[in-house]
This record gives sequence, structure tokens and C-alpha cells, in this order.
Amino acid sequence: MKERYLLERENILAPLLLFPVVIYVILLVGFPFVMAFVYSFSNVTVGNPDYKIVGIRNFIDIIGDKVFQKSLGNTFIFTFVSISIVLILSHILAEVLIREFRGKWLVRFLILMPWTAPIALGTIGYLWFLDSVFSPIDWILRSFGLLGSPDALLGPMSNMYWLGRPGLAMVSVILVHVWRLLPLGTVILIAGMNSIPREILEAAQVDGAGYFRRLFNITLPLLFPVIGVTVLFAALFTFTDMTVVWVLTMGGPPPHSTQVLASLAFLKGIQGGDLAQGAAISLFFFPVLAGVAAIVLGLVKKAVVT
Amino acid sequence: MKRYITRRDFLRNAGIGTVGLALGPALLKDVFAQKPERRTLRILQWSHFVPRYDRWFDPYAKRWGEEHNVDVIVDHIGLADLRSTFASEVAAGKGHDIIEFIAPPSDFEPSVLDLKDVNQEAQKKFGKQVPFATRSSYNPNTKKFYGFCHGWTIDPGDYRKSLWEKVGKPEGPVTWEDLLTYGTRIKKELGVQMGIGMSQELDSNMAGRALLWSFDTAIQDENENVILDNKKTVEAVKFMAELYKNTLTPEVFGWTAASNNQLLIAGRASYILNSISAYRSAQKDVPEVAKDVFFTPALKGPRGKAWACEHVIYVSVIPKFASKNADLAKQFLLDLCANYDRAMWESALYGSPSFFSTPVPSGDRGYPQVKGAKTLRDLHNAWFSEDPFALPGERKDKLLPLRDAEKWSTNVGHPGPANPAEGEIFSTFVIPNMLAKVAQEKQSAEESVKQAEEECKKIFEKWRAQGLVGKKK
Repeated sequence: MKERYLLERENILAPLLLFPVVIYVILLVGFPFVMAFVYSFSNVTVGNPDYKIVGIRNFIDIIGDKVFQKSLGNTFIFTFVSISIVLILSHILAEVLIREFRGKWLVRFLILMPWTAPIALGTIGYLWFLDSVFSPIDWILRSFGLLGSPDALLGPMSNMYWLGRPGLAMVSVILVHVWRLLPLGTVILIAGMNSIPREILEAAQVDGAGYFRRLFNITLPLLFPVIGVTVLFAALFTFTDMTVVWVLTMGGPPPHSTQVLASLAFLKGIQGGDLAQGAAISLFFFPVLAGVAAIVLGLVKKAVVT
Repeated sequence: MKRYITRRDFLRNAGIGTVGLALGPALLKDVFAQKPERRTLRILQWSHFVPRYDRWFDPYAKRWGEEHNVDVIVDHIGLADLRSTFASEVAAGKGHDIIEFIAPPSDFEPSVLDLKDVNQEAQKKFGKQVPFATRSSYNPNTKKFYGFCHGWTIDPGDYRKSLWEKVGKPEGPVTWEDLLTYGTRIKKELGVQMGIGMSQELDSNMAGRALLWSFDTAIQDENENVILDNKKTVEAVKFMAELYKNTLTPEVFGWTAASNNQLLIAGRASYILNSISAYRSAQKDVPEVAKDVFFTPALKGPRGKAWACEHVIYVSVIPKFASKNADLAKQFLLDLCANYDRAMWESALYGSPSFFSTPVPSGDRGYPQVKGAKTLRDLHNAWFSEDPFALPGERKDKLLPLRDAEKWSTNVGHPGPANPAEGEIFSTFVIPNMLAKVAQEKQSAEESVKQAEEECKKIFEKWRAQGLVGKKK
């Protein structure tokens, strides 16, 4: 049947509805991306918008830069460890939260809180938790005799100095980031778990399959597409995030122990004034994230159960 | 009564209307021309460490605006956001008319106006500027004043007298070696550490530079050649590692701008390198600690030289995109200098003037009159001899060692200018990292210094290619 009105035609209505999104993506994603691409091949600085094209000099410089190499390594550690912990913890939480129990709404609310609070604000709270003088964690450790006496398990010093010791600083940054991402992972997995037909699990249970058998042979394979999406989102958020690192450590303690690519791009490009190098560093995200997205979405497509 | 319009009426009304439309704008223009258009001056600056300064400055700026038929808007932001905010304004080509930085913004030189005229006018009116203020606002290679420096902050050592008394040094440290000798004893015998940052933040940058200069070395020489990799730097780096081992704790690697205040107020620092703001906070929060805090000038190095980095240096720029308001902005800056007695007073002596010979204006200035004070130098000497902000029962002569601070204070980039290469090295924390790696025993002093020099050279070459750093000599 021929549509009476133009807007009833799919070939007109669909592009029309998509148009605002396309404009939005072009303006807020495409344009800055093209700018970053052009800047990375130039000698532009924050103080001088006029620039010359200098070829791949910025890329050669940053690849040879030890701070960049360290930041790249840190970014992978930060991303990989954070996502692994988020996946495990969010699965446990989702398992708990799909069951009925008293006060479930309160637990759900508390778990979702970190996602609703502004990230910078939450991280500032952690600054106090991890403070070198007033840390309440240290106070508890001291109270239990685990810290601050010659024979204490964690050492004789009065404080742990969470953000002053390279290893502990990385642990702190990762844990705060996990706290931040956990609600997202949990919500996605709860949605995924709720979509698994109960009959399949019940049938397996009747057939004598234990919890782990059901987990590894039914739940996880069926959840794979959902886990894929969780990994993708978590990777995107983690790889490009600098808020937690910047607020907690500014990339320190020396020498750049928690510096990640996003914070290094800001440090070099804005703080250091070398916008071109900052752009070149940030461009490193693109192939990595495009690759991760392609792999994850490819696997998810294969794994979709129809 | 006529109910219709005749052809004659129509022509007459249409004629009046046409004439009115033609003459209207001209007539209105004449009417409004009698009243000049009211302009707006926008100022961007940090939220001052001493909040009472902002409480004075904002109404002062408004009043200045009223006197000059201008609306003045002052925006305060965190010091860490100044650069990124101005960078986005430069990219957008619009924003504030005056941006006050607290570190030399030399890399913004191509986007800001040459303030040679203001600087010359200020020298004419207020006398000679302290030399490091000029070196923080003038590029000798391009011969351009990219900024106007009206003030700065002293960066002394703050020590707890009671602790130093117990180890036989009641007047506090005089040399870096004293810090090591007596600081070690204080930590071992009294269990109190010192607080000198080696982290990726402002105060650690200052401390690292003060150490290098006092050990007769620097990142660059007077002609902007990198000279970091030398025996004296290695000596300084080894000294800092020793100082860390004996007097500091790992908290110095996680040091932040608030750590000095925090540690001092908690009563857990025998010595810190900080402006008097930490002491002022202690006066408010823990008077008993504040009464025990005393000051030392820059510490002497092994060969007797003593330098400290200015803690903060106020450099205002006028962006090129604000050239329409440049006349107003320049006038505002000059008038601020003329009223610097208030700036000193309202910052509780945190801020010092760049022009010490500025005459003190007459009349009620909002502070107890100082007899015979004709210039800011007189005021400064009087207030630093007898601190008007001392607590009841507190010694009033504590600031005396800081009275001639401009003699031992200098700029980022010393002994050369505060060029963009020095700025990037400062902002990317090359020096704290160089020191920390050795203190953490991750690298030898020689390797760390060599690596830092390589980083510095690359940065210098880049800015040299931009024409903002002098050619190699």
C-alpha cells in the first residue's frame, strides 16, 4: 500500500529520525577527532593556535619517550585488572541481587550509588580515606595492631602511605575505579541473568547439575554476549578515564607510577602546553579501542543464542 | 467621524512614516551618543589560598568599575584549572580580558598582547620591579612582555622551634646540611618527620629547584642552554636521597598542595618548605602549633649559596582577543599596583609586591596606620618586623627572617628567564621525578640526572624551534 504522507515512508522517516544523532556525533565526536588527528601531525601549542604540519615527528618522539612507554603499560594494567575485578565482583553481586531477600532494594540502592554520584566527588572522598596522615583505614589497621608497631604485620610506620608508595598507589587507583564501575557491570549482568529462561536452569538442576556445572555450562555461555558488552563498556570507560588517577595521584607517585595515557595526554597537552604531543598520545586510544570493540562485538555476534 | 482613509490621508501618513523611519536611527543615535556605552571587564583568577584576599579583591574590582563606568566581573577558579580554562579561551578566541596566572604563562606568548607599555608605565610610577618578576613576564628573545607581574609570594622554611630546641638548634636550620643532621636526630629521637615533597605537584617543584640552585646548579644557564647533567646536580640528588632516608617518609611521594598545611597542623612535621599560608591556617585551627612555628630564609648549600623559588608569582596577561578592552585592563592592573598595600594586608602578608617603591596612598586604608610608612617597602619592613596578624601572646617578630626575601628568592628558570621550556619541565614534573627515582633507589643519581637532562633537552629543542627560547650559545 502506498503511504499517504511523506513521513509515513520508512526511507524518509528513518533518516529524519537519525539526523539529530548523526549531527550530534559529527559535532561532538567527529569534529574533535579530526582536530586531534590534524593536531597530532602539527606543532600546535596551547598558547599558539597557528601551526605547521611536522609529519610524524610527534609520534616518533612519544614512542621513544620512557614516560609514554610506562603510561602505556600502566593503562593496560589499569584496564585489565580493573575489568577482571569488576567482572568477578559484578557477577557475584548479580547472583545475589536476582534472588529475593529482605532489604534488597536498599542493597541495590547502595550498589548503584557510586554510579549516580559525580566521579570527581566520590574520588575526593577516597582522597581522605587514603590520606597519608588522617586515613581512617590506617587508623583501623593501627587499632588492630596491624600497623605502627615494631612487630606489626604491615610494618612499623604509623601509616600505609597509600598514595605515596608506587605499588599501593596503583592498587588504590584500581580499587577506586572498580568501585566506580561495579554498578554498571552489576546492572548489565542482572539484566542478562534475568533474561535466561528459568526452565533451562531448573531442568539442569533436576538432572542433577550442581551450581558450578550450571554456572559454567549454562549461565556463563548464555551470558557471554552480555559479558562482552560489559567488557566493552568497562574497557572504554577505563582506557579513556583520567579522573580517578588525576584526583588521587596526578599520575604519581614518581616516577609516573599511576600515569595512564589519558592523564599523560592532559599533562603534556594542556599542563605542559604541547597540544600536538597531547593529541598524538590521545590518538593511541583509537586503534586500541577500535580493535577491542571489533573483537568483542565479533565474539558477541558469534555467541548470540538464537 | 471618518471611517475610511482617503488617498490624501494615506499619502500623508505614509510620508510621515517614511521620514520617521529615515531619520529615526540618526535621531536615536544622537540621543544615545550622549551616553557612552558601558563596557564590561572580565577577570579570571585563582581562588586565593587566603580567602580574605578574595573577599577584599572582588568588591575592590567592582568599585573600580563604578569609578570608571565599567562593569567588572571577577571569576575565581581552582589554580589547577587556570591553564586549561585559558587554553580553551584561546582556542575559542574569546573569554576574559585579564587572566592572572600564579606561574609564568610564557607558552601563551603568541596569543597575548605585548604589555611593554604597562610595564614601562609601572616602572615610571612605582619604581624598579624585583628582577625575578621581570624574568617571569618578559621574553628576552622576542623582546616581548607577555605578562605583567604585580606580586609574588615568599617561600621560606617553616620549622617547629620546640623540636629543634630539643636537638640543640633553637634557631632552626641554616644550611641543607643542618636539615640532614638535626632532622635525622629529630626523627630518630622525637619521632617527627620533615615534609619536603618529591611528588608531581607544585610545592615539590619549588623544593627541587631550591635544592638545585643552592647546590650551584640549575636546569638552564643564563643563556637558556640546558646544563642539568653535571656533578653538582648529582651531588644534590644524592643529598636528597640521603635526606629522604633519614628524615622523610613515603608520604612525600604522594605530596599534594595541601600536604604542608596538613602535616604542620597535625603536629607531625619538624620542617616544611612552604609559604606562610600553612602557618596562617595553623593560627586559625591549632594556635598552640602555630605559636611554635618559626621561619628560616633559603637554606645554604655546600658552597654557601642560598636560593628559594618564589612560591607563587602573579603574572597577568591580556589576550589578543581582548584587545578592545586592553586600555581598561591595563588601567586596572596599574591601579591594582597603586593599591598594593591593601593586597598585602588582605592576604595577611602572603602576597608581596613586585614594586616595593610604590607610594602608600593617603587616607584610611583599612588597616592600622604605620607611622612614617611612605612606600610599600616601609610597610613591608614594619609588618615583617612586627607581624600584625600574630596571635595574642605569640611572638611578633617571627617573620623578621623573611624581610629581605627578595634577595634570596628567584624565578622558575633561574638563572635564566622563565621560558616555555622551563614551564613545560615544571608542569611535567621532571625535577621531582629525577629526585624521587634516586630516593626510591630505582636509579642511580648519575642515571637519573642523565635521563632528566635528555628530557629537558628535547623540551628545549621543541620550544626553540617555536622561536620562544633563545638560540644555543
